[in-house]
Amino acid sequence: MVRFPSEEWITLFKEALNKNAAYKEAAKDWEGDFLFVITPDEGLKKETVYYVDLWHGMCREARLAKHNEKAAFVFKGPYSNWKKVITGELDPLRGLIRGMFTIDGDSKIILDQAKAAQELVNTARKIPADFEG
Amino acid sequence: MTRTIDCYFWNPDLGIDETLEFTYEDIGNDIELKKPVLTIQVLGKLLDDIKKIRREYLLSLDIPDILDTIGRVTNLWMDPEYKGRKLALEVLPTVTGFSVEMLEYWGFDYFLSTMKKENLPLFGKLHPHEYREFSKLGDGLVKAYGIPNIIHSKFQPEIIGHVCAGNILGIAAFEMIMDKLVDAATWIKVPTEEPVFGALYAKSIEEIDPRFAYSIAVLPFGSDQKHLQEFLFCHSDIVRATGGELTRKNLTELAEKHKVPLAGHWHKFSFITIAKEYLDNTRARGIAELASLDVCAWDQQGCFSPQEIFVETGGEVSPLDFARMLAEEMETTTRALPKGTNSGKIQVLDGYYQYLTKEMMGEPVKIFPSKDHQWLVIYDQSSMNFDPSPLFRVIRVKPVADIMEIPRIVKPIGRFLQTVGVAIPNHRLIPFADAMGKAGASNIRTVSSMTLQKSWEPWDGRFPLHELMEHDSIHWVSIDTRNIDNEIQFALERKRLIVDQRLARDGTSERK
Repeated sequence: MVRFPSEEWITLFKEALNKNAAYKEAAKDWEGDFLFVITPDEGLKKETVYYVDLWHGMCREARLAKHNEKAAFVFKGPYSNWKKVITGELDPLRGLIRGMFTIDGDSKIILDQAKAAQELVNTARKIPADFEG
Repeated sequence: MTRTIDCYFWNPDLGIDETLEFTYEDIGNDIELKKPVLTIQVLGKLLDDIKKIRREYLLSLDIPDILDTIGRVTNLWMDPEYKGRKLALEVLPTVTGFSVEMLEYWGFDYFLSTMKKENLPLFGKLHPHEYREFSKLGDGLVKAYGIPNIIHSKFQPEIIGHVCAGNILGIAAFEMIMDKLVDAATWIKVPTEEPVFGALYAKSIEEIDPRFAYSIAVLPFGSDQKHLQEFLFCHSDIVRATGGELTRKNLTELAEKHKVPLAGHWHKFSFITIAKEYLDNTRARGIAELASLDVCAWDQQGCFSPQEIFVETGGEVSPLDFARMLAEEMETTTRALPKGTNSGKIQVLDGYYQYLTKEMMGEPVKIFPSKDHQWLVIYDQSSMNFDPSPLFRVIRVKPVADIMEIPRIVKPIGRFLQTVGVAIPNHRLIPFADAMGKAGASNIRTVSSMTLQKSWEPWDGRFPLHELMEHDSIHWVSIDTRNIDNEIQFALERKRLIVDQRLARDGTSERK
């Protein structure tokens, strides 16, 4: 089990994503990097931000973001909602539609890549995680 | 041979059709409308069924699958050869009174295209504190007014009801799509004036994914059947309604009685504002072309249709000359986009004689009528108050010394304000939009785009998807562009394409 969020978790996520053939196929046209912003609530006291660089079905880089780092897309939500996504309780696109997450960036591109987004989440769900609090 | 058009839709496997009585209404042109005689028992069965299909099927779909279905349905309607579209174009002119041209361009080519997969709004809720100044959204800007006060919150509605007005085509389709984005089953009371399109659209969903479609019930019945409406209200998580003052009164009472959240969109006023910068000798004609399109669209029947045009003085072209130019453009645009059978000739004549009398009595009024009373432009310097138009392409042009006077002029009707069509340069647009937002308006749109809403824009100050889940007292105001010069250029190209193409097809291409 690895703690979510942590550097160890995002490293495992990158490895798992690069082994996921379904993701590779679904995201073959995808070009763009993300900041995944986990804002504090419940057990999480401090904001955590991941930087994830996705390029044609591969994850080129995934790590804790540097201060003020920028990316094409910023997907942001409170820790409790991220936890629901990671445990499979919440589809992130449904979360977005319900205002549980926000996205900065061209949402049309995200819509077009909805299947790739789904595979990202499927990958995250396979990593055995334990949670703060 | 008489064509019979079904005005209802539900899961045919329920087998209730055999138990129902139907009425057949002859509406002329060999068309009859078939409507069921609904009962409480039948509605009970239908609601149980749409809930069951939601639970067993809709909730099992991933959002990409839902978006894919919506996209495929929209693609059907975008295809001029699609049999549903062809049938709609044969029947709807008789049903609605709109011309084929209006239904094609505004209804199918534009409105339904807002439901293309790539145009759907994905965000359900924006955070007002991030939009306290006009900030980017879609290809425009939005700003939040007011303090959040959440009076209803249910992010997983099971059943959403809709009571649709009949003035504009397509609302029923829009509602079906919005509900599926929040995984809700749907009942729709279609309007008595236009009970056809909702059922046709639901059938097109059935062609792509029958079970998806069977989470929808399209119900034609009159507002006088209060017991049916009351039953549906009691069994809904929220009801969204569009309509006039009587509908507002009746449905508000019903919603309060049954403590059902009601998202109402009622009677509104909209108008155009032209700033002096756009009234130079080069651009004024183009602005008149664009304004004529807003007046002609949907024959002014929409809440977003302009009822007055405020024209700022001090430009190279005076407001009176602008009115004259507008009249010339109304003639051209009306030839390209004619009125339908419901021409409102009486209303146009009423306006004509009322203002002819004023003109003859020496009031500062000048009328520019069409020869056959298809439209009427009135230059009116006699009153600075906002006056409702008789509609059906009757428009007043009023001079104003400074566009920033307009928020004060329209403030008395603030809660009825909706769309403001604009030709105002970028540097003056934000202060104007802000003042109009404070006065009560919700959509600032480039002239000629007043009836062409973008899918990311709020509707009467609320976002259509968010409104189905939460009511929070925030009033959102949008500007449909971040660069008005570019948008006007684009709008002009679009307008000329629509009008010139049509005139060329009819062999009357030379402009007057």
